[in-house]
Amino acid sequence: MGAYILRRLFMVVFVGVGITFITFFIAQVIPIDPAAAALGENAREEQIREFRERYGLDKPLLVQYGIYLQRLLHLDLGRSLRTGRPVAEDLREFFPATLELALAAFWVAILLGIPAGVWAALRQNRVPDLLVRLMALLLGSTPVFFLAILLLDLLHRRLGVLPGPGRLDPYLIPPPPVTGMVTVDALLARDFAAFQDALAHLFLPAFVLGSASAALLARMVRAAMLEVLSQDYVRTAWAKGLSERQVVLRHALKNAALPVLTLLGGLMGGLLSGAVLTETIFSWPGLGRYVTQSATSLDFPAVMGVTLLVGVIYSLLNLVVDLLYALLDPRIRYA
Amino acid sequence: MKRWAVWLLAFLGLAVAQDRTQVLVYGGDWTDLITLDPQVVYEFSGVMIADNLYETLVRFEGNDLSTLRPGLAESWKVERGTSDWILTFKLRKGSRFSTGREVTAKDVVFSFERALALKGPGSFLFTEIAQLKPGATKALDPYTVEVRIPKTASPQSFLSILTFTLGGIVDSEEAQKNAKGNDYGKDFLTNNSAGSGPYRLVRWDRGNQVILEANPYARIKPKVQRVVLRYIQEPAVLRTALESGEIDIAEGLTPEGLRAIANNPRFKVVRAETLRLQYLGMNMKPGSPFANPKVREAVRYAVNQDELIQGLLQGNAVKIQTFIPKGLLGYNPIAPYTYDPARARKLLAEAGYPQGLEFELLTSTGICGGGVPCPDVAAKLQADMARAGLKARIRAIANAEVLNIYRAQNHQMVLAGWSPDFPDPDGNATPWADYGARSLAWRNSYNDEVAAKLARQAALEADPTKRKALYKVLTEKVLREGPYVVLYQPALPIGLSAKVEGFVKNPMMSVPLWQVSKQP
Repeated sequence: MGAYILRRLFMVVFVGVGITFITFFIAQVIPIDPAAAALGENAREEQIREFRERYGLDKPLLVQYGIYLQRLLHLDLGRSLRTGRPVAEDLREFFPATLELALAAFWVAILLGIPAGVWAALRQNRVPDLLVRLMALLLGSTPVFFLAILLLDLLHRRLGVLPGPGRLDPYLIPPPPVTGMVTVDALLARDFAAFQDALAHLFLPAFVLGSASAALLARMVRAAMLEVLSQDYVRTAWAKGLSERQVVLRHALKNAALPVLTLLGGLMGGLLSGAVLTETIFSWPGLGRYVTQSATSLDFPAVMGVTLLVGVIYSLLNLVVDLLYALLDPRIRYA
Repeated sequence: MKRWAVWLLAFLGLAVAQDRTQVLVYGGDWTDLITLDPQVVYEFSGVMIADNLYETLVRFEGNDLSTLRPGLAESWKVERGTSDWILTFKLRKGSRFSTGREVTAKDVVFSFERALALKGPGSFLFTEIAQLKPGATKALDPYTVEVRIPKTASPQSFLSILTFTLGGIVDSEEAQKNAKGNDYGKDFLTNNSAGSGPYRLVRWDRGNQVILEANPYARIKPKVQRVVLRYIQEPAVLRTALESGEIDIAEGLTPEGLRAIANNPRFKVVRAETLRLQYLGMNMKPGSPFANPKVREAVRYAVNQDELIQGLLQGNAVKIQTFIPKGLLGYNPIAPYTYDPARARKLLAEAGYPQGLEFELLTSTGICGGGVPCPDVAAKLQADMARAGLKARIRAIANAEVLNIYRAQNHQMVLAGWSPDFPDPDGNATPWADYGARSLAWRNSYNDEVAAKLARQAALEADPTKRKALYKVLTEKVLREGPYVVLYQPALPIGLSAKVEGFVKNPMMSVPLWQVSKQP
């Protein structure tokens, strides 16, 4: 098992290098000069030349890529062309917001999606099933920006029950940044007013972001449950006179979990790679906004940093999912 | 601590934080913010914030960019030396940094040397425009500073440059204490402040907010203790946040959003003047149809400026045809060209294009001055020009790529924008008229020795009346002969809660936040 994990972790390194290779050369296909993008309309020729030299943009492509890899060996992601800061520092600042939102949205997806899917499967083709399928269709097909602006307008501006964009009421003193996740930082500072407010600020973006995943999850759980519910061992469980709760939780859901787990891994990966629209609308300072901003300014060290981070996250999540398989299904063994 | 005490404190904290008249919340898209170091910052939002953290020796007040007023220097004089200009500044006594230390001449020397050493994007204002050299700034005594610049530089431009954040005075001890290697404290001052301005920087959460608090030692006491700049990119959300009272000031509303709040007594709209010019550049290089003055003249008659401003821009712009924007010395209000397609057609025929002329109009896919997408502006111009026989093929591409083509002189006609680098007419005159400066005149192959000479002469003229007269001649010459058609000078509308008073955004985009107050 340990050897297996090590081998998989080793593979992650190769995936990472592959990602840098692809992103680097895709970035070069775009026929735009990052120096012009960074310096703007008033820039003088000398400034442009100096910028190219400072960031090594005047060197041949392969040399540039070589330098990048060499730095990467020392875990140095290079400097952003736009912010002038080390990319790693930028990521450290923008990733926690994405992590906080992704975890919250993940819970929204699980808490809404799984019970809904189970319920629909148990009442197949009856009202609850139709209701869940309709909701899943609606939430799954509503564009995120539409849902977000609609809910903000309704719940914040008109009804005033939920706070607006941002992570904390501007009239509160924000807790000192430790983890970068405002809810956690507020707890660490024992500032409960801020915690409560941060949680309230988190609710709407998490709901908007999580609802599409919840819809997907509900459909997946429903399908997996339907398949399991028609199996012989479930009939046996019913025949033994077990309660619905026991049949569903112990016999059916556990066996329906494998395909659902794969989906969950993918969903979490998607959530962690940053949600551009949700982040933009809710003024959430996460990876999605950072990477779009970087991409529009052709800041390829930053874009590569983000793709690399996201690639590593996906690989690790895949590994976790595979390990969980073994835990859930005793027939699966890794050597 | 007992648990009830923690809860009580949490409650008190909430109660204290809620004096809403002492917190000003300003929402807008601040994503261009990358540093708050006065000697490095060159982005709109960064300059606006740094301007409230640092004081300069001299400054402009409100929208008046032609009268210098005392800042940290209570008086100054300009003398003609044998080979250079000598500027002497008398500092006022008792100005203090947010660290509590007094502002003295050595801080001024340090800050100027720092600007030269750090070579930030705005440093060319010192090195090229003012031709300031390391060692040229000296502390004669703790309250007297002498700066020498070469005879070929303009002392007037230098004084204007000193109002910019590049000339912001930093606490030299604080910067040196936090310096890493040879960086003059650059890393530290990126997200910390050490100035004598009315505010100090408390916190900058990138992509989220910037928090300023009143500098307890400042000479100028702000009316609001705390300012929170909220990053809000999406215009619809900006409007929602303003209407719900979550923010007090909203910058970046759409024309519809502005119209909606203008009709609501709870809000008001302020129009900030800018120094930006949106213009058409015509490449005059040999062989180009625009090398012919009659063709350029035809284009000037083929642009319907009034319709562009009233229609597409909804009035959010000033009509202007000369190249020094309204607000600066030398602004010339003449506007002799009116939309006259028949006359344009005649001029084209005289120039040898009786069948009309086809050419490429290059434009960015981004947003032009006045908040309108550039391709929309280009389409409007295309329609106007078509009626005069000028058939423009629009090519809309990423702004960076437009600049590359423009810089390489590979365009025929380009729709572009320009803002002066410093609030002085020379910030436009040299780039627009002097081919040798390798800026706009060069990009459009406008090589006119008379215009270049006039620009140089005006830059060095110390007498404002004579200077103004020179700019009048130059602007009229370039208007009739040059490669530009100035389209408009955009205004920047900002939505405010009716409770906010004293908000001004000046044409250099700086906002004296300390003058803003908020009613309950």
